[in-house]
Amino acid sequence: MYINHLSLTNFRNYGRLELDFGPQATLLYGANAQGKTNLLEAMYYLATTRSQHAALDNQLLNWEADLAEDPLVVGRLVARVERREGERLLEMRLIREQQGDQISFRREALVDRRKVRLMDLLGNLRVVLFLPQDVQLVTGAPGDRRRYLDITLCQTDPVYCRTLSRYNKVLEQRNAALRSIVEEGKGRDVLPVFTEKLVDLGGTIFAKRASFVAAIAREAQRIHYEELTDGRETLRLHYLPRLYSASYTNGSDSTAAQMEWAEWLESASAEQAAERFRHALHEARETDLARGRTTLGPQRDDWMFMVNGRDLGSFGSRGQQRTAILALKMGEIEWMAAETEETPVLLLDEVVAELDERRRALLLGYIQQGTQAILTATDPSMFTDAFLEQAQTLEVQDGRVVEGKSALV
Amino acid sequence: MASNVLPRSVQRLIDEFARLPGIGPKSAARLTFYLLRAAGDQALDLSAALHDLKEKTTLCSNCFNITEQDPCAICLDDNRQRELLCVVEEPLDVVALERSRAYKGLYHVLHGAISPVEGIGPEDLKIEELMNRLQHGDFGEVIIATNATLEGDATTLYLQRRLAGIEGLRLTRLARGLSVGGDLEYTDDITLTRALEGRQSL
Repeated sequence: MYINHLSLTNFRNYGRLELDFGPQATLLYGANAQGKTNLLEAMYYLATTRSQHAALDNQLLNWEADLAEDPLVVGRLVARVERREGERLLEMRLIREQQGDQISFRREALVDRRKVRLMDLLGNLRVVLFLPQDVQLVTGAPGDRRRYLDITLCQTDPVYCRTLSRYNKVLEQRNAALRSIVEEGKGRDVLPVFTEKLVDLGGTIFAKRASFVAAIAREAQRIHYEELTDGRETLRLHYLPRLYSASYTNGSDSTAAQMEWAEWLESASAEQAAERFRHALHEARETDLARGRTTLGPQRDDWMFMVNGRDLGSFGSRGQQRTAILALKMGEIEWMAAETEETPVLLLDEVVAELDERRRALLLGYIQQGTQAILTATDPSMFTDAFLEQAQTLEVQDGRVVEGKSALV
Repeated sequence: MASNVLPRSVQRLIDEFARLPGIGPKSAARLTFYLLRAAGDQALDLSAALHDLKEKTTLCSNCFNITEQDPCAICLDDNRQRELLCVVEEPLDVVALERSRAYKGLYHVLHGAISPVEGIGPEDLKIEELMNRLQHGDFGEVIIATNATLEGDATTLYLQRRLAGIEGLRLTRLARGLSVGGDLEYTDDITLTRALEGRQSL
């Protein structure tokens, strides 16, 4: 699939923008802080309904429009996406409204001009995003790694996305029930009701995450071994499901226990996973009651990178971590293409600058195989003439985009 | 709106309107000035209607629907199937079911659904009253017709547990599935899954 037109109104530093894209590579270049990344953010937002920055949604609105003190500010992101089964028009509206001294912010999603739930926007445009800070996925917090799982899975599996959203609501209710038992001594009879709902939804999430990590690990491992390290290093990704209570491991290494459960989950059905989750929640009942919240479940999951049998987060060099991330992302492309029978759109923010010549050539080679890629760079000279020859090149200057090819070649 | 410019009585109504859900200060002012200028007795009629709303209505001591007479007309109606009981969340759900003309049994209004997040537990709903009614009445079937939301489902599950012990009582709930006139293509997958699960022999 590819984006053939992007239209922005009041988004970040763009007051108004209409931009055509070709089906292959587009290079956006220009000095820092001109709005290159904002363009990638717009496309990512249409694909995932989220920003790659943990920014508040109302910060996405154009600040000049914001300052105009208009009681109604509407930001619009529209992409025309060419898909195998035809063209589709995706739109996200960011609406900030002021009534008296109350400011409200809401979002509306449209597919082919029909209003849909935000969730239903997902899957219409699929992207794989490369960021320089992706390497933090290896060493960062479990929450970042779960977010990666969720965003990637949600783009390809609408059932996962709905299940996750329902799970989070049930979890919130169950935690509230636990709190009311602890604080007010009431609600004991309500707890089993929410536990029952939680295990059904949780079982599906566990099972889907396990098979996703296993599948993407296979792709990433192959790319890592064959193309990135000449067979010198073996990358493994391990899902670490929080499917057992603290008493289960009895103080022994919990990572090993989690790996065992991950392996078990790969061949388990959602119902079997739910049954196991029910059992674990039952074991953790006293802990949950003491803490007033649900202490295990997919909301506590994690996953990790291992290279040659060692934890990459603790023992890997920066270079090894970068290589693993590149393998993961390239694996993500392969996985998504296989899963949906359509290549996703690649969004690469300043990533090419970080790669050595060989990996740069490998990545750009990938891009030239008929995949749409939107790349940003401050310095276009790091690209080969052959690449620039094929690519559409655009210069970004202070919220405007100008044709730039003649200036380069 | 600067409060010292307007007479107190005008400002007071604006403030009251603004407390209603879905009405902001501007709408509140517009409604107030509309009533101020409205012909005849419109404002007084509204005032009387508001007064009666609280003064004349009560909850039926049987089914807990809103009524002006206790027991309510439905509970008193001898033509209804008195062995059939339908449990709903809100009085408006009774209105919806009555509009269908498909149901001829009695009702029980819970006045909400279980939601720990909002601090609503079973004890805040008319559930003990329901248990009481079932133990003393002669019901053959209870249809649970809560909303198809998480809270509605949780309430159904809770009731299922509570009512399972009552002997000779059939427990049912409304089917989940396609809406009439709906397009299969545009139906979300959870609804479709439920519709498949609830398929019927031809």
